[in-house]
This record gives sequence, C-alpha cells and structure tokens, in this order.
Amino acid sequence: MDIVCFGPIGNPNGAGQALPASSLPNFSSVPDGKQAKGACRKKNTLLHVASYEIDEGDLLELARAGGAIIFSLSDILSEQGFRRAILISKMRLLLAACRKRGASFVFCSLAKDAAHVRSARELTAFAAVLGATDVERKEAEKKIEELAKVGK
Amino acid sequence: MKPTERFKRRYISFSLLLSGKPPAYPEAKEIVHTHFLSFFGEAGISSLAFKLVKYDAPSGNGVLRCERSRVDEAILCMACLSGWKGSPARLEPLSTSGTIKRL
Repeated sequence: MDIVCFGPIGNPNGAGQALPASSLPNFSSVPDGKQAKGACRKKNTLLHVASYEIDEGDLLELARAGGAIIFSLSDILSEQGFRRAILISKMRLLLAACRKRGASFVFCSLAKDAAHVRSARELTAFAAVLGATDVERKEAEKKIEELAKVGK
Repeated sequence: MKPTERFKRRYISFSLLLSGKPPAYPEAKEIVHTHFLSFFGEAGISSLAFKLVKYDAPSGNGVLRCERSRVDEAILCMACLSGWKGSPARLEPLSTSGTIKRL
C-alpha cells in the first residue's frame, strides 16, 4: 500500500492501492520537529516531518500513541545533488532514532502527481537504502495498512 | 582472477521514457551514465561494477549491470530520475536477475 498526495488511483506496479493522504484523517504533515509535538500525542497518527528532524522525546510519545513516522520518496525526488545527499542522511538518522525509541515507521511515495508514483519494488529499495531490515520493512507494510484502516 | 574474487553481478532490466517516448541510444546512454555518476560519484561507480549492457531504442527497454550487494541502491538511483534537461523522464526498473538470459 502507498499513500499519495493527489486523487485516488490504482497503483499498477505496486502491491496494492495508492490511498490519497486527504482521505486519511490521521495523516499529519508538518515542516519541522517543533510543530510535530502536538501530532505525536494523537493516537495512531501517520506523521510526515518534512525536515526529518524530530526530538527523541517526541518519538517516545509517538510510540506510546501507536503512531508512525512517514518516510517519503517524493522528498528525495524533489531535491538534487548535495541537498539530496543531506536529506538521505537525515532519513537514515531518523530511522535509527525510531528503532532506538521503538517508534514505528512506514515508507511511501507521497507523490504529488502521477509522474512521481513509484512501484513497490522501488519503495522496497528505498527502505533498504535507509537501513531498514527485511523484517522491519514487512512490519512497516503491515503498519501502513493498519493505520490506513484506522484512519478510514 | 579467480571467480570468487570477481564482482558478483546482477542484471536489472529497465524501461526508459523521456517526455513519454523512448530516447535514441546516445541520449539514453548519456542519461543513464550522467544520472548514475551524479547519484553514486566516481568512487561509488567504481565499486558498483556498473555497465549499460544493452538498450533497445524503439522500445526503450534496456539492461544494466551492478554489484550484487548494491542492487537496492541501483534501483533507488533509477527511481530518483524524474527529469532530464527540463523534460519529464522515468527510468523504471522492471526485473532483476543473475543472468541476462533470465531477465
């Protein structure tokens, strides 16, 4: 399952349907960690922090509330060169922090248009490059389906 | 060199589209080489065992080679191509195999 930022579509290359983020009331996108504090306390939040910088205390709150951090492939697509390298590095650090604090994480494209939708294999590669193990990736797939059901 | 000392290779088939159409061979080669060089850098490419093995211009399908342990990085690199010189571009991985024949 994938979450996108535009209308409902079928993902022909993916494992399942691509859900629009607007249809999920528990989806929350914030530009930085300071604004993520409130969202972390809400139950079952799917939280996208665009800066990929968030306090470990907030991650603990998120883990307690049963939410998950979103790692978006479209954030990488929109950057180029050195800025892209820095963003991948921040994502790796955040994933390690999530693992340390027991917070769940999910991988999706958050595509803004059809051209940015990526296949399930590409999302798997994205997770692997960020340092997620196969077990963590499968757990992430289950988590995204579970939180999408809760949000509906 | 012993077979065990060589790079363990994997082949990835792909489909390349530039503005919705498959580009000609020289342009496709330039896109793939420039994009991989930009993503991995010179040192990264040297350890990746990267090669554009073949490309069929009419269909836009091709095969590239990489090192076995870095298949995921190569696929992410392909996924990261979204434009080329102001035109939308897509380098979509189709399948991965240890031999070209089985792709």
